[in-house]
Parts: sequence; C-alpha cells; structure tokens
Amino acid sequence: MVRTALRSPATTLAVVLATLMTLPLADSLYRVPIQVSDSLEPLVIAAKYDSAQHLLHDSLTFSPTTFRPLRYLQARALLAFTQATGVTYHAVFRGLHVVLLLMLIALFVAAVRVRTWPDLVAFTFAFPVLLGIHTFLSMLLEAFPVNHFAEVGVCALVLFVLAQHQPRWFVPVVASVLLALSLSVIESGAMVWVTVICCAVAGLRGINRTTVVATTVVFVGYLLLRHVLEISSPGVGGHGSGFGDRFYSPEELAQRFGAHPLGFMIYNVTGGLASLLFAEPRQGVYALLAASREGEMHPVVLINVISSSATTALLIWYAVARLPRSRSAWSDADRTFVAACTAFIVNAAFNAVYIKDEIMSPAGLFYAIAAFVAVRALIDSLPSRTLAATALATCVLTAVAALWTFRAAGVHYQLRYDAFTTRNDWVEVLRPDKHDDWPEDPVELGLTERLRAEAINRRTTSPSFMPRWTDRYWVE
Amino acid sequence: MWIMTGPCLVLAFLGAWWTAGRLAGDGLWPPDEVTLSEAVATRNNAEAVRLIESGANPNQPSAVREGLLTSGYAVTIKPIEAAVGAQRADSVRTLLANGAAVDQEELRVLRCLEQTRHDSGVRELLAAQSSSDVDCNGVRSPLERVR
Repeated sequence: MVRTALRSPATTLAVVLATLMTLPLADSLYRVPIQVSDSLEPLVIAAKYDSAQHLLHDSLTFSPTTFRPLRYLQARALLAFTQATGVTYHAVFRGLHVVLLLMLIALFVAAVRVRTWPDLVAFTFAFPVLLGIHTFLSMLLEAFPVNHFAEVGVCALVLFVLAQHQPRWFVPVVASVLLALSLSVIESGAMVWVTVICCAVAGLRGINRTTVVATTVVFVGYLLLRHVLEISSPGVGGHGSGFGDRFYSPEELAQRFGAHPLGFMIYNVTGGLASLLFAEPRQGVYALLAASREGEMHPVVLINVISSSATTALLIWYAVARLPRSRSAWSDADRTFVAACTAFIVNAAFNAVYIKDEIMSPAGLFYAIAAFVAVRALIDSLPSRTLAATALATCVLTAVAALWTFRAAGVHYQLRYDAFTTRNDWVEVLRPDKHDDWPEDPVELGLTERLRAEAINRRTTSPSFMPRWTDRYWVE
Repeated sequence: MWIMTGPCLVLAFLGAWWTAGRLAGDGLWPPDEVTLSEAVATRNNAEAVRLIESGANPNQPSAVREGLLTSGYAVTIKPIEAAVGAQRADSVRTLLANGAAVDQEELRVLRCLEQTRHDSGVRELLAAQSSSDVDCNGVRSPLERVR
C-alpha cells in the first residue's frame, strides 16, 4: 500500500519535504523536559497506587468536573515501562510526545493525498500552515505527562483519513474505540465524535450510518456516565480567560460574568473561531487592542494576523465558488473541505467557558487541510485567468506561504524557550533550603528526585544566547 | 506556480541542515557552555544548580562574557553578584539555597549594586539579611571595568 502511494514522484517529494521539516521539530520537542505543572502530580499519583484497578476506581472521583481515568492509567503504564526497561523517564514520556507528533504529520500527509505536481505545490503551502499555526504549537507545549491533545488530534485525523476511503467493516469499531479512548483522557476527545459527524454530513464515503450510530451511542454513553458519576461541566470562573484587551483570573471572571454568563460564552465561542481564522484573539485577549492602548505593536502580531486572514480569505473564496452547487455534485475535494471546515467551526464551541489555544488544536489540523484544498483549487483555476490575475495570485500566495513558513520556523525557537523555562521550574522542586516541604512517602520522593535530576541534567539553550530579534517576531 | 514552493523548500533545506548538524554535534541553537556566573547572568537557574551539584563553588568568582551584564568588556564576578546584576531575585534565592554565603562586606557590595540596577525583589531579599541603611561611599561595583 505504501509502495502504491509512493509511486507518484509528487507523493514521494511531499513525504521527503515533510520528513526534512519534521525531524528537527521532533528534536526540538524532545529537548523539552517533563513539565512540573500538570505532569509531576499525575505521575506521583499514578506511581503511589498499589494497583491499576484501585487507581482507576479512585480516578473517577479525582475532580468534580473532569472524567479522565486514562490519564493516570497511561502514566502508570509508562512508569512501569520505564522501570522494566531501565531507560529514563524523559526518553519514555518525551519520546511518546515525539511519536504522537510523527503520527500527526503522517496522518496529515495521508489526509491531503498529494498525487500530482499541483498537489505538491499546494502541499508546500499547507504544510507550513499546519506547523506554523499557533494551535499546533500549543498542542506541542501541552504539559500533561502524555500529550492528550495530540492524542485527540491523532484519533480525529485517523477517522478523517478513513472517511476519505471506501467504507470498511472495521471503521465503526475503530471509530468507537478511538472515541472511547479520547473521551477518557480529556473532554476535548468529543472532537473525535464531531469529526465523524462532520465527515458524514459532508458525504465522505468512508463514514457510513453504522459508524455514526456506533460513535453516537458511545458518546451518549459517556455523557450518561458523567451524569451517573455526578461529574458536572466547569462553569465560568473555573479557569482564567481573556476578555477584550486583558486576561482575567478565575475569580475576576466569576465576579464579572458569573451571574450572566451567556454573553461571555458567546464571546468565547466567536473568539475561539476568530483566533483560528485571524490569529486574534489569543486566549481571549485581543493583542491588537492591547497594542493600540500601549502604542506598541510587535511584528509577530502583524505576521500572524496577515497570514491567517489571507488564508481564511482563500477558504471563503473556495466556499463561495464551489459549495453553492447541490451536495451530490460535490467532488471529493469539496467534501474534504466541508468536513474540515465544519469540524473546526464546531470545535470553537468547546471554548464556551474559557478560551485556550490547546482546545482549538484539532481545529488547527483541519484548518491546514482546508487550506490545502483551497490552494489546490486556486492553482487549478490559474490557467483560465488573465496573466495579470495569475501573476497577482501567485505573488500573494507566495508571500503568504513565506509568512506561514516563517511562523513554522519560529516553533523551534518557542520550543527552545519552553525547554529553558520548564527546566528552570524544576529548581523550585525539592529545594535544599525547604527540606521540611519534601515528600515523606519514599515512592513519591524517589520518583520526584529522579524526575528532577533528569530535567536538571538535560542542558538547554538560554534565550540569552539566541538571536535578540526573535522574541519580537515569534513570541506573542 | 513553482515559485510558491520556495519558502517551504528553504525551510526543508534548513531542516536538513539542522538535522545534519544535530547528527554531527549539537545542531540548531545548542545548549551553551557557561560558567556558573554566566548561567546566573542569563537567568539559567537550572544550569547553575547543575553546575553546583557537579562541584562548582557557588562562592567562587568566574568570568562573564561581554554583552551579558556589561557592554564591551568581560568581568569576573561571584555568581550572586551576577544574580543581582541581572536583577534576578529567583537566582539570588537559588544561590542562597544552594550554598552561596554572603558576609556583611559582600552584602554591602550587593546592596550597593542593587541601587544601580533597581530590582524590588532583589532589594527585599538583601534587606532581609540586614535591615540597616547601607553606605555606598567607596564601594566599587563588581560590574565596573577593571583597568
């Protein structure tokens, strides 16, 4: 099958390009130590339990608003794997992050299906969109022991790719299993069900009625289980979030919007979608407003807004030009485009209570797929246009591609920066002058000491030794 | 049409270059070789702790290259002086927690240095060591160029 897929030289070149850009990215990602925030505590909890069954049972009641039993079981399994193999915790946990990254890239390449030279040209536009969009970086920076948002992204893309092919008997089974796995690590796992529904609505042939029914049953079962376990959804004030030109703490949000949350929720949903389409707001904060107030605009804001807005304009052009026809007349590309766009639009609803870039990370994957389809169609349309229009379209596309590529290159810098700050976080753990605060449990102490030693002994690059201009051009 | 592929090809070429560099050595933006004072001056507290745990003396002056704390010349200073010079209260606290000793004369030098760099966090930490007013007459800044 792989040999068949690689028979086209354009396909081979797309794989080569993706590989060349992904390998250093994998290296940059691997350099980030295991995080203290959101990672140390679940690892300690997973290690301290005497059995997986006991851990599973208790994890159902760890939080009144979350149902994430697999988070702890995955961590426990990886801890056991580390002990069995004798490799470092870093190699196992960060190695898994890298594997998830490679799977995402491979699935994206499979989803866009480069077969011809025009496909390859569109791919060279869309691939930097995938890597450079801020939601992708947020997904890479995820602090959980296992990257749950990447897991959700992988599961959603697996189904998206399956949806593009002929229906197979195993698709309902695979879809149900992937949905169940996703929902048991994080609430955003519901995006896997959304993906199935959007693919079905768009008419992608790999998703049949059985798959829709099976995954809907799993999803309804999940909601019922949450109800039975009395797990509620988080309300406004559970997390900090932005509004207008500033970020509010959970307490401030509860005070300001707690009594009448509807307007704030609408702001969040529209803001989540706008952040994907126009790179503004970020975490609910409009940097453009803040910049106008402070009288200083960082170039990164302009680069992100221009590149995202131009690409969104391209998507709108495609939708207006291709979709008004009847659904039965849609091509495979049209269906792929509709499935991707509806998925990222629905994803915005997940921001209702608070906006976070990570929540939109599956949407970022679908945005890049939609961008591929739109650019491919624009390339196809060029021969029928005047020379001036063709030249103008080519220049604009090249300029936008350059901006996206610049954003993608910045991911390396931001991962280096994150590695530096994450490693520094470990200095505050087991401080010699606060011996009284050290854990008394020998398992917890031993694990914490080893994690700390691994992080401290992995040297990172200080931003002081990286180019000074990078902050203004790559960090918002 | 092919001109559109240019930016992506450049990044792919750079990716190949960075990967080859990584295989041959450290690749893109490798970890820097620093002294203990330089680690502190670049707010690299984790590297400072690693160096101390590897045997570096937190009270021993070491070189700080030009451009980090000073412009146009290098200095040789104690790590805690680098922390005050870099206006890093967290670095001061890390050094004190990991064996840095500050006697009254050194404290006077640090407090006078803080008065030229101005950092409220550092000022509070140093004031906690001595509440009396400081007289900076005749105190030479460790960041001054040695003639």
